[in-house]
Amino acid sequence: MLARAHAFTIDGLQTRHVSVEVDVRAGLPAFTIVGLADTAVREARERITAAILNAGFEFPGRRVTANLAPGDVRKAGPGLDLALACAVLAATGQLPQEELERVALFGELGLDGAVRPSRGALAVAHAAQRAGMSGLALAPACAREARLIDGLRVIVVEHLQSAARVLRGGPDDAPAEPRVAAAGGRSQLRQGVASACLAGPDLSDVRGQHHAVKAIVIAAAGAHNVLLSGPPGAGKTMLAQRIVSILPPLSRAEAVEVTRIHSLMGSRVDALAMTRPFRAPHHSITAAGLVGGASRGCVGEVVLAHHGVLFLDELSEFARPTLEALRQPLEDGRVAIVRAGHSAVYPARFMLLAATNPCPCGFAGDGDRCRCGEVDKARHRRRLSGPLLDRIDLASSLQRDLADDLLAAPLTSSARAREQVADARERQAARLAAEGVAVNAQMDGRMLRRYARLDERGQEMLRGARRAGLLSARGETRVLRVARTIADLDASERVRARDLGAALALRPEPTIEGNRAA
Amino acid sequence: MSSSSSRPTPRPSGACAGCRRRSWLLSALSGPLEYCARDRERLLELLALPDMELLEAVAGRRANELRERYERFRGDEPAPVHGPARTNQPARTNQPARTNQPARTNQPARTNGLETVCGHGRGYPRSLDGRCSPHMLEVAGGAARLARLTAAPVVAIVGSRSPSDYGIEIARSLARGLSASGVSVVASFTDGIAAATHAGALDAGAGSVAVLGGGLGVACPQRRRSLYERVVRGGCAVSELPHDCAGRRWGQLASERIVVELALLTVMVEAEATAGDLAPARIALALGRTVAAIPGRVTSPLSRGTHALLMDGASLVRGPRDVLELLYVPGGPRSSAGAPRSSMGGPRSPVGAPRSPQGAPRSRAPDGADRHDESCDPHAGLAPALRTTLAHVGAGRDTPDKLTRAGLDGSELLLALSELELMGLIVRGDGGRYLPRHRVDE
Repeated sequence: MLARAHAFTIDGLQTRHVSVEVDVRAGLPAFTIVGLADTAVREARERITAAILNAGFEFPGRRVTANLAPGDVRKAGPGLDLALACAVLAATGQLPQEELERVALFGELGLDGAVRPSRGALAVAHAAQRAGMSGLALAPACAREARLIDGLRVIVVEHLQSAARVLRGGPDDAPAEPRVAAAGGRSQLRQGVASACLAGPDLSDVRGQHHAVKAIVIAAAGAHNVLLSGPPGAGKTMLAQRIVSILPPLSRAEAVEVTRIHSLMGSRVDALAMTRPFRAPHHSITAAGLVGGASRGCVGEVVLAHHGVLFLDELSEFARPTLEALRQPLEDGRVAIVRAGHSAVYPARFMLLAATNPCPCGFAGDGDRCRCGEVDKARHRRRLSGPLLDRIDLASSLQRDLADDLLAAPLTSSARAREQVADARERQAARLAAEGVAVNAQMDGRMLRRYARLDERGQEMLRGARRAGLLSARGETRVLRVARTIADLDASERVRARDLGAALALRPEPTIEGNRAA
Repeated sequence: MSSSSSRPTPRPSGACAGCRRRSWLLSALSGPLEYCARDRERLLELLALPDMELLEAVAGRRANELRERYERFRGDEPAPVHGPARTNQPARTNQPARTNQPARTNQPARTNGLETVCGHGRGYPRSLDGRCSPHMLEVAGGAARLARLTAAPVVAIVGSRSPSDYGIEIARSLARGLSASGVSVVASFTDGIAAATHAGALDAGAGSVAVLGGGLGVACPQRRRSLYERVVRGGCAVSELPHDCAGRRWGQLASERIVVELALLTVMVEAEATAGDLAPARIALALGRTVAAIPGRVTSPLSRGTHALLMDGASLVRGPRDVLELLYVPGGPRSSAGAPRSSMGGPRSPVGAPRSPQGAPRSRAPDGADRHDESCDPHAGLAPALRTTLAHVGAGRDTPDKLTRAGLDGSELLLALSELELMGLIVRGDGGRYLPRHRVDE
């Protein structure tokens, strides 16, 4: 007798529908699984046999063949257990077939028949909803995650017996739980973020460093890549960690995307992501760790930072190939991984936030303190320079603060900065709606000519900067982008000279380098 | 001298055989001299000795062999190569077999366009007439150009090898200003102040004289190769050693004496109070040349050496103008024993503007900027906001945060800083600090 169940398998960030077909016929007792299954799936035979018997059902003493279709998709992970077990039960007439056609099953089985959570519930729920399934049965621990998807009945099953009860038309194991509020309106979203950030670090913890704080706000407003440099202890990391608290909230679509990625990568998800992801990998990370591709379906930090912030502390300590690997994602907002036998394109639109010491000891410019030789400094600069620095729009230097600065009032709080940033982003989005980009950082030269017109004095300044050799063509683009953002923060439709002046002061290249390298 | 065929035959105006032999001898004794060079004074004494005495003094067991070769010297012998000098180890008997190998270097010796000059021929710098002056110089960039550059007043700019941005900027602007005024600058060819000096002279489109501590063909490290080539294009590089003699520490010390001797006036830009950093000043004083120094912050160790010189009576220099005054005051530059202190009583610079106690915010500009030096204030035409900002930066409030604390308007501040930077009045240094830039037309 033949039975069929629906399940989903995860391949990288993609979720594939799997049709689980089980055929039971006369023959020597055997249980075979075919259809490009990985080890975890093949081991499912033992788990399923034990679970069926321990749950009080009967395992057929005949020849059982399970086929996972389509046959050319690699199936991985133990999430197919529940579907396989139910299909076996249906094929032996212990369960009705009808409900199995409508409900997708997702979960790992224990030997006692208990249903265990598997990673990626949100993605599976998303896929089930799109595949037109009426419901998704999964472990209680995954239920909250799956409920984040609208238009899908989430069936909580604790045990194989509960699954059987549901498939026979009975109730599931869910306590009467209200749906997790999916944030609706924009103001609601902002409140959601505010409450999410309340507990986190706040910009008002930062004393002094007013210009660095301003730079961070500008970067957040235009989604510009930013480099913080300063001596150890100046507060680079502290400042960086606070950037998520001022970034605008994720839109609903972005939130689903982000939550899905994080769910697939195995983090527990209880609600849609509210705040943007903040990833801070240690500098010993490899290129594969950063962009992905280490093993099949393994995504890198840049993907986990999608729609959020990638923070590289001690930028000069990262291996050169690792940083080189960032070029594509920084440029295209995606990363294409091609390996033998498979290729995948992952989304990776993030804001890069880098921090570094100005020299190996960290005290360069602090006159008395820096003891680095010219050679060390040159090597340090070489590590920082190059294609990565080309993609950084603005840089800010921090100095070790004077004691009285630490007592001074903070420049701003996260709540205030967040409002400013959100307003500036709304202005950008409205202006750039026709161009298909959302933030100033993504403007190209043509859009800049159109949307970042300078006033008379500003044009004069830009010419001066070009003449003085302070700006390359690419540098000019970056300065204009930042100037546009500064004007947006000031609610100015025109880019004024003072916006350009501030952007020039925040441009990444230090001019003294020419002096040193001379 | 190399036997390489690419080397042009010495011109009639080249160094005489005796001086070339001296140069060869120095390179042959390079190893033993390195050992002796732990003591600067002793090195200078050794370099003052005539050939044979020098040979006796340092050659040790190889004295006889070297003496023989010295006497056979005809001007085309390759310099012998030594390992690191280890006189406590017995010389190996197979040593002579190795001495005829060419210098062990990673790069081929560059010999094109090298000329030699010595005190017995034309084109030798007049000022090199001291007790321990070099006998001969190899010149890249042309002996004629060296003669032209040293015919003008020559100023040596010396200082630390790892200076602050301030030191680099000062050295560069000083060299720029002096070169533009027709004064030749000379410096060694090390990192830091020396490199900035040459860059400054090149900025002004003039040539400088670089004194290398090793042979011209091999002593320039790769990272300064492009600077070397620019210097040789516009000015010249000199060395007292044959072009294939690898650079050593003693050569560096010896080159300092040439730098100082070439110049009428030695300006120390930034130096720690160590024997190494202050050596050029000591040599200059011993030669009776004028020593001048640029002041820095009293808290900076990098200015301790220069401040010590100033305390001892060196002339205080704030820019090219002060140097020119020192050079052209009636009677010419005096030795530092009677250093013209009058220059210290002159107009005060805004750098010295007083700071209120506890660094409390001051909303008004330091008065010094306006009150003094009005006749030649180069920034008189600036907008008031820019002038105020510039004065504050000059007074050491060098970061945007410090400037805001000093009461400048935060929103216009960055604009002012950018405008000043575009005008070339300030530059951005390490750590995001702004430095005032000296104007050449001061």
